[in-house]
Amino acid sequence: MTTVIETKSLSKWYGNVLGLSDVSLEIEAGITGLLGPNGAGKSTFMKLITGQMKPNIGGVTVRGEEVWNNFRLFRKIGFCPEQDAFYEDVTGWEFLTGLLRLYGFRPAEVTGRAARALEIVELTADKDRKIRSYSRGMRQRVKFAQSVAHDPDIIILDEPLSGLDPLGKRRLIRLVKDFQSEGKTIIVSSHVLPEIEAMTSRIIMIHQGKILAQGDIHGIRDLIERYPHMISVRCADARAVAARFVQDPSILKMSFGPDARSLVVETHNRDAFFSRLQSVVLETGIEVEEISSPDDNLQAVFDYLVVR
Amino acid sequence: MKPKANADFPSFGMSFRKVFAFFFFLGRKTGKARVFFLLGLIPIAIAVMVRIVMAGRSGDVVAVFNEILIVFFVTFDIVILSLFYGTSIVAEETEGRTLPYLTTRPLSKTGIFLGKYAAYVSLMFLMVTASLFVSFFIMNGHRFRDPMLYLTFLRYAAALGLGILAYTAFFAFLGTFLKRAILIGLIFGFGWENVIQYFPGSTQKFSLVHYMKSLMPRRASGGPFSILLFRLEPTAPAVAMVMLVLIAAVFLALACWLFRMKEYLFEE
Amino acid sequence: MATVREKGYYHWEGRLTESRFPWWPITRTGILLAFKKRGFRFLFAGAFLPAVVFLAGIYISERLEDFKFMVRGSERLININPAYFKTYLANDGILFLMIMVLVLGCAGLISDDLKHNSLQIYFSRPLRKQDYLLGKMAVVFFFILIVTLIPGLLLFVFKLVFAGSFKFFLDYPWLILSVIGYSLILTLFFAFYTLLLSSLSKNTRYVMILLFMIYIFSDILYGILNGIFRTPLMALFSIKANLQQVAAFVFAEKLPHAVPVFWSFLVLAAVCGLSALVLHRKIRGVEVIR
Repeated sequence: MTTVIETKSLSKWYGNVLGLSDVSLEIEAGITGLLGPNGAGKSTFMKLITGQMKPNIGGVTVRGEEVWNNFRLFRKIGFCPEQDAFYEDVTGWEFLTGLLRLYGFRPAEVTGRAARALEIVELTADKDRKIRSYSRGMRQRVKFAQSVAHDPDIIILDEPLSGLDPLGKRRLIRLVKDFQSEGKTIIVSSHVLPEIEAMTSRIIMIHQGKILAQGDIHGIRDLIERYPHMISVRCADARAVAARFVQDPSILKMSFGPDARSLVVETHNRDAFFSRLQSVVLETGIEVEEISSPDDNLQAVFDYLVVR
Repeated sequence: MKPKANADFPSFGMSFRKVFAFFFFLGRKTGKARVFFLLGLIPIAIAVMVRIVMAGRSGDVVAVFNEILIVFFVTFDIVILSLFYGTSIVAEETEGRTLPYLTTRPLSKTGIFLGKYAAYVSLMFLMVTASLFVSFFIMNGHRFRDPMLYLTFLRYAAALGLGILAYTAFFAFLGTFLKRAILIGLIFGFGWENVIQYFPGSTQKFSLVHYMKSLMPRRASGGPFSILLFRLEPTAPAVAMVMLVLIAAVFLALACWLFRMKEYLFEE
Repeated sequence: MATVREKGYYHWEGRLTESRFPWWPITRTGILLAFKKRGFRFLFAGAFLPAVVFLAGIYISERLEDFKFMVRGSERLININPAYFKTYLANDGILFLMIMVLVLGCAGLISDDLKHNSLQIYFSRPLRKQDYLLGKMAVVFFFILIVTLIPGLLLFVFKLVFAGSFKFFLDYPWLILSVIGYSLILTLFFAFYTLLLSSLSKNTRYVMILLFMIYIFSDILYGILNGIFRTPLMALFSIKANLQQVAAFVFAEKLPHAVPVFWSFLVLAAVCGLSALVLHRKIRGVEVIR
């Protein structure tokens, strides 16, 4: 897959405060989640790749072209900023059409694109109301609409789900996935890990201005050897199952849930455990209700990476 | 089926045009535009009052009050409008955090800056000229058939227009790099520009108002009410015009360069 | 008997008492925020320059006797009397400096709260509208009184000290009350004036321009209207002229404009009344957008 966005030793200081340190990445088409806590450097990264700031060291290219002061690139880039900021004295319709005209579209095209963008964010009924009177969620949606109205190939979304209700979040996540299926490159930043998880498994983890990990979430998990995998098995007789594994050298630790109906196992070798579990179930006839991995998720991976 | 997009990449000219249209529209919608427009009604109200009060008095007295109204435009109205709109070019976007909407569009930064500058200058020129037009022709209604009257009006309008160009450019330049541009602008506009006129010789030429005053039509008789032209050692009108345009050009060039190079960080 | 406490939050067993001055944190914050601006610190320091000049004048007036042989036949160049104090508190320069202090230090008092939707946060505390407004006004009080009342009183004290007697006080026993009274009138007016304009917009830059523009323009308007109508009544349009009228009345001096001082008081009171009305409407916890 071709690289769409590339950064090389990207670093940024705010005076003496480090914003971003030595970030070298290649981002390909599809959805890439950028996640990290508040103050990690996500917005700094977003601002650098959208040319709002100039790096102190290193560079960032989009489709092989430098971003800083290269306005022609933005024909195909859409950006949804984090700040809740608008030209408040205009309606949603005027806001969208005004910004669309800046691309040089013909008037009929401006109208068509604006109408479509408002439709996909479900703001058609409120298009003639002043943005000042919009609720937080509506403002977020119109901000999203302006980032996609001109049909960009690259969409950069800085905390796009902030302020949305659960239904709104689901709709937006579905929209983002639809854009992915159209072949677009989407970078989404968030500090709420389940939101990123719902959109993509390809993530970049950032903390204190540095990249902690990059790639598929499950692949990253597998690479963290220091922390054994946790597997939870819920069944009718957890102790009987546990008794079968006590002698197994690949099992490091076992514990029981409060109702004694679940067994949590820590092991370095997940595959061997699952294979052995199948045999145990067949031998004992014990009914297994649920098998899950409590730490095979972003939160756990992030916690492990930050703590190390 | 997706509609075809305009395939041309935006040049500086297109950036300028698009941004001009956007902010000319936006500028008219704000409440502040209405307030400044109301400010322009004051000379009209004064002109009406003068006509009522001075009905039947000699034309010479009416001409004198023309100069008083022009003092309002030159030393107050233009300066206030230019200060607000000039500093707003950048400050509005950084304080309102709307700058990303412009800088992440296919628009050159120079086009953004100059387009917004042109939009605001046009708005101000419309406000001021409308006010000047109505008040001027109320004051001189009895001379409608005199072609020289229209020439005089055009000279006033041109002087004020060039003044708006120069002042706005200067304040826009201040606004690109100063956080408290308003304070410096007030000190310059109402301090320096007023004080410098008392300085002899060429020192007057270090002010913008000097060149505006040099463009003003002068009454042959002079008289005790030439407040505007008090102690003026005028520059030739052609030179004054060139200087105002040159000053505007220089400050705009500096401002554009700064706007291109600077990073604007929003206060968190 | 041994006890083991759990770590974490403890419910406060004591009695919660309300603050006697709920507006004080607002005032303190407003003052600190103003001083954070470097330009304001410089300007505020400059606002004391007239006081230094007037103090020097008092000193020179007392020492002039020593140098009488150098100044043959001349009257006392500087006469320290109520007019001197009136001049300090109400001259064009000091009023202009006060406006600049307000522009730079107080323009954002309410407009910043409107911009950041802070009113909801304020009124979700046990804070009344009066407390909020008093807190904001006290910021203006602080800056204006420091530049007017304190130097005014100090000038009076230094006059007595340099003279070495209480004769000046016995000659003008009411002068100290005039200094206090006029300083308070000035402060109250500027507080209402500033808050009125600050509440009109979320844009602090715009408020700064309004603060300056209205003050200057009122004087320009007076000049224009006086030129047209040739009547001293036009002085009522000028904020500066009204303040100077009131100053002359308070210091028992000749009024600078042939207008009854009651009208000037009325104009200033009308501005304060308008301000109170607008503030009452604008300052609320919930903003209704139509």
